Amino acid sequence: MGVQEKSLASCNSMQRVKVYQLNDEGKWDDHGTGHVTVDYYERSEDPALYVLDEENETLLMHRISSDDIYRKQEDSIISWRDSEYATELALSFQETSGCSYIWEHICNVQRNMHFSNLNNDTFHSSNSEMSELPLVELSTLPLIHKTIVESGIADQIRFTDLILNDQEFFRKLMELFRMCEDLENMEGLHVIFRVVKAIILLNSPQIFEKIFGDELIMDIIGSLEYDPDIPQVQHHRKFLKEHVVFKEAIPIKDPSVLSKIHQTYRVGYLKDVVLARMLDEATVANLNSIIHSNNAIVVSLLKDDSTFIQEMFARLKSPTTSPESKKNLVYFLYDFCSLSKSLQMVQQLRLFRDLVSEGIFDIIAEALQSQDNRLVLTGTDILILFLNQDPNLLRSYVIRPEGISLMGLLVKGMVTDFGDDMHCQFLEILRSLLDSYTLSGAQRDSIIEIFYEKHLGHLIEVIVASCPPDTVEGTKSWGNTKPEILLNICDLLCFCVIHHPYRIKCNFLLNNVIDKVLLLMRRKEKYLVVAAVRFIRTVLSRHDEHIISHIIRNGLLKPIVDAFVRNGHRYNLFNSAVLELFEYIRKENLKSLIRYIVDTFWTDLAQFEDLVGIQSLKVKYEQYQENGGTKVPNNVTDPRKRVDVRALEKEEEDYFNEESDEEDTASASLPPPRKKQQGQPTLSNGIAKAYQSLSPRTGGLVDYDDDEDEEGYTPPPRRQVGTPDDEEDSLRLKRKLASKDKESDLSKRQRLNKNPKSKDSVFAALCSTLSQAVLPGKKAASIINRSPKAGSGEGNKSSSEQNHKDGDDSVSRGGSDDSASDEEREKPPGSPRGCLESAQSMSDGRQLGSEDSASLVPPNSSPEMAVNGS
Amino acid sequence: MSDLDRQIEQLKRCEPLKESEVKALCLKAMEILVEESNVQRVDAPVTICGDIHGQFYDMKELFRVGGDCPKTNYLFLGDFVDRGFYSVETFLLLLALKVRYPDRITLIRGNHESRQITQVYGFYDECLRKYGSANVWRYCTDVFDYLSLSALIENKIFSVHGGLSPAISTLDQIRTIDRKQEVPHDGAMCDLLWSDPEDIVEGWGLSPRGAGFLFGGSVVSSFNHANNIDYICRAHQLVMEGYKWMFNNQIVTVWSAPNYCYRCGNVAAILELDENLEKQFRVFDAAPQESRGTPAKKPAPDYFL
Repeated sequence: MGVQEKSLASCNSMQRVKVYQLNDEGKWDDHGTGHVTVDYYERSEDPALYVLDEENETLLMHRISSDDIYRKQEDSIISWRDSEYATELALSFQETSGCSYIWEHICNVQRNMHFSNLNNDTFHSSNSEMSELPLVELSTLPLIHKTIVESGIADQIRFTDLILNDQEFFRKLMELFRMCEDLENMEGLHVIFRVVKAIILLNSPQIFEKIFGDELIMDIIGSLEYDPDIPQVQHHRKFLKEHVVFKEAIPIKDPSVLSKIHQTYRVGYLKDVVLARMLDEATVANLNSIIHSNNAIVVSLLKDDSTFIQEMFARLKSPTTSPESKKNLVYFLYDFCSLSKSLQMVQQLRLFRDLVSEGIFDIIAEALQSQDNRLVLTGTDILILFLNQDPNLLRSYVIRPEGISLMGLLVKGMVTDFGDDMHCQFLEILRSLLDSYTLSGAQRDSIIEIFYEKHLGHLIEVIVASCPPDTVEGTKSWGNTKPEILLNICDLLCFCVIHHPYRIKCNFLLNNVIDKVLLLMRRKEKYLVVAAVRFIRTVLSRHDEHIISHIIRNGLLKPIVDAFVRNGHRYNLFNSAVLELFEYIRKENLKSLIRYIVDTFWTDLAQFEDLVGIQSLKVKYEQYQENGGTKVPNNVTDPRKRVDVRALEKEEEDYFNEESDEEDTASASLPPPRKKQQGQPTLSNGIAKAYQSLSPRTGGLVDYDDDEDEEGYTPPPRRQVGTPDDEEDSLRLKRKLASKDKESDLSKRQRLNKNPKSKDSVFAALCSTLSQAVLPGKKAASIINRSPKAGSGEGNKSSSEQNHKDGDDSVSRGGSDDSASDEEREKPPGSPRGCLESAQSMSDGRQLGSEDSASLVPPNSSPEMAVNGS
Repeated sequence: MSDLDRQIEQLKRCEPLKESEVKALCLKAMEILVEESNVQRVDAPVTICGDIHGQFYDMKELFRVGGDCPKTNYLFLGDFVDRGFYSVETFLLLLALKVRYPDRITLIRGNHESRQITQVYGFYDECLRKYGSANVWRYCTDVFDYLSLSALIENKIFSVHGGLSPAISTLDQIRTIDRKQEVPHDGAMCDLLWSDPEDIVEGWGLSPRGAGFLFGGSVVSSFNHANNIDYICRAHQLVMEGYKWMFNNQIVTVWSAPNYCYRCGNVAAILELDENLEKQFRVFDAAPQESRGTPAKKPAPDYFL
């Protein structure tokens, strides 16, 4: 602007003008004489005409318009229709040179408005030649590159328009590229690389459409082989032309579909390989959305081609199709289902339903029986896609007669040795099928029924067969089952404990499942030993009196304590897991267990008294002793009635605990953008859940209980222990800080919601306790008399074994009651579907742009989006 | 050359392992990690490294500056994965070194060694892209559960990814955590991996991250005093200069991802401790462009759709 003023000031006399305005009668009114200048309009970047009189008063202020409104008459008059004044205005110049000077200026400004102005110095005439694209020649490329790279956003947009308006630009650029490549002109190739890269980073969807077309894309990729920053030339085209194979399981006839398929692959290759390190997030997002929408187009064109789908299934089912092409068809099917994620939810669901009615699950069941691992695993991958879309599609299949074998194949797959291949999919599928948070109604009963009746036993047998018969620890591997398979079984069992507490209760007690799982303590792999401890820990988190007394009666903690003692003072994961188990028992005030542990094992444990966890267990025990037996309900000595009441209270308590569990889990399963892995986090959460009972609320309750017990008890030992107090205090602080409002709000709502149901649930619990109680006796008349006894499992072991078969029958009967009550109780507070859908939409959002995901990140990680939060 | 040595060489070239190799490696790693304690004892001399975040070539630069693995002892403070382009190669190389030289390298868990976080910040997607299924991710995240939570160097320097927890006033209390689980949303284990020291906070404050806490100088003083340690060494926060002392040299942040996210323009640092615990920070820049190969995420060479 400074330059402008100076240059204008120097030609004072040329700028003398009279200002005229056309009045209503069609005559020109003289508005005075002054000097005209071109200047920025009121500190904006818009150039304007100013006419100032001798006293520097403004006679006229007119923002130069990009429209074609100006007329030059007789070499000395410039006139226009002014929209602000709503009339015609005219400048009459004293000298013709002044008139042409200003006229030039106006034209320049207009040109700059139409085209990009590259130095932000908007109407400086020296830049006006850049307002059009230079000819595409080797000599101009550096300038083009500089222009794109150095200009601001507004100019980049204008530049983008210029490129798009020029039909020849890319054709010429690519001609240059081919020429340079022929001549091995590296310098030229490097410049072209820079220009193409800069153009891609303009991130214009229209430009992408152009350069990713069949005609240009290979040359574009070619030009990107010459990165001046990488010493060796890349060979992307060679890879794409010679190594990449496009496979057709079924011939695709529509050429537009074929073209889209190839384009998608190439754009993906550009994004992931060629440009991987150069792209910014916005460009990646745009490329992703190209791929995404291409996928959607391809899948919908194919799915709407009914002959295509029919032919595919006809071939899959035909006995004459060769195994090799059947394999390819299954691989194709996987790709097809996988890409359908790009469809809208509703469309994808419709497609999946169609595939189900065409018999896709029969085909997968067949694939699962193949000897070819890759084929089997592809089959499971397809099942996972279906489970992610809607688990009920597969569930309603496996409960039908023709589908019943599939569940068996899945369980079998889970315990099958796949050699080096990973086969975590089986565990994941089973977990999705059995997930009580998304199961409902009759389907749920049937699935759980089938699993527990037909398959759980098999899993337990695998464990039993894999563990050495005596208690010698550290012997060499036993059985043929791979340790990771045992680990998976153990994980699945923990999952079942959390999801089907009632079902598991019957089954575990009747079949001594807990005892059998604990055989894992004898394995040499420490992670299996730890897994067994975790299993017990998960079982205990159910707070089930019957199970606890079962554990005590059968001395089930013995292998754990023994291993703990053997482990000595080694501070490893096993040591921590057992200490945590003891800590949990102490904090949850599981009195009978504490008594059992100290009474039975103290001589062994005494040597670890220096560990706070062990010491405080003893302290707790002593508190009970001091308070005397009468106050403490004891399963063995208490009147039976009392036990019953107590159990009932317990059930009710559990009910609330359970609900909050679910609430937490539901919210925990929300944050991850994928529900695919839901299984694992849920389990972990289940366990984490149990830890949370260490946290202040329950901690406080325990404390309160403590205080009660402590009447007349001298504090010193406790003070000695010291730390728990601090811990609880600080945890309370944390509570207050972190989640007080949310927490109380939540639990309030929860209680409001759940209270009306609690009576029913108590009734259901009672029923389940009763049905449980009936099992060994079978005679209705004996129910009431015998129930507490049987319920607490006092029947001796051999008799329960004698009753085994009967017991099994009654399990199935009792079981259905049981799962009905499960259903009542285990339904998560929010609609699970809603939950999943939002998870899905998150993942969709993520594909579209990273910004979207920012708001969807779980609260505890949202700051992660800020770069300095790591 | 053993399989493992061959795999290490391969990973050093930034070429990912086969699925079957990943599986075997993860199982071996689990057996080793399960024997470690929640507060893993580490002897000096040792070199402490902060966040890496999948910046493989910058980690190679780190090894160039700090010395190769079995020659130099290393302690990595977590956040091996997410954000960078090579989380898979980065984590697998560290894990392979751990399995090969268990006493020479210690890996502790960062807040990104988590199923939830890796699904949002890149590791999950990277596994899916490089292997075509989530299996490798599942195995790796299972290994995360076994990683130790902290380290104690010569009884004098407490090392942890994030910071302190109001639930933990003595190191003994960390012992009772069963760490084999997904990083919880609250509680001691969560705090160790998520908390940050903060100048303006007295005592404990709310963390803007939504997990863990902010803690002030007095908290650090009393923790160090109660546990008889000289200072705390942690990572978790980007520091432009690579390292930063706070609270009168009672806590230091070490950051080892130069030009974080390939655009922050920061330098990185590692902290070398000699046998007498004498400190030397080594600051380094991002690896030069030339030393970076083409990204090894070639898509499958055949496709149906």
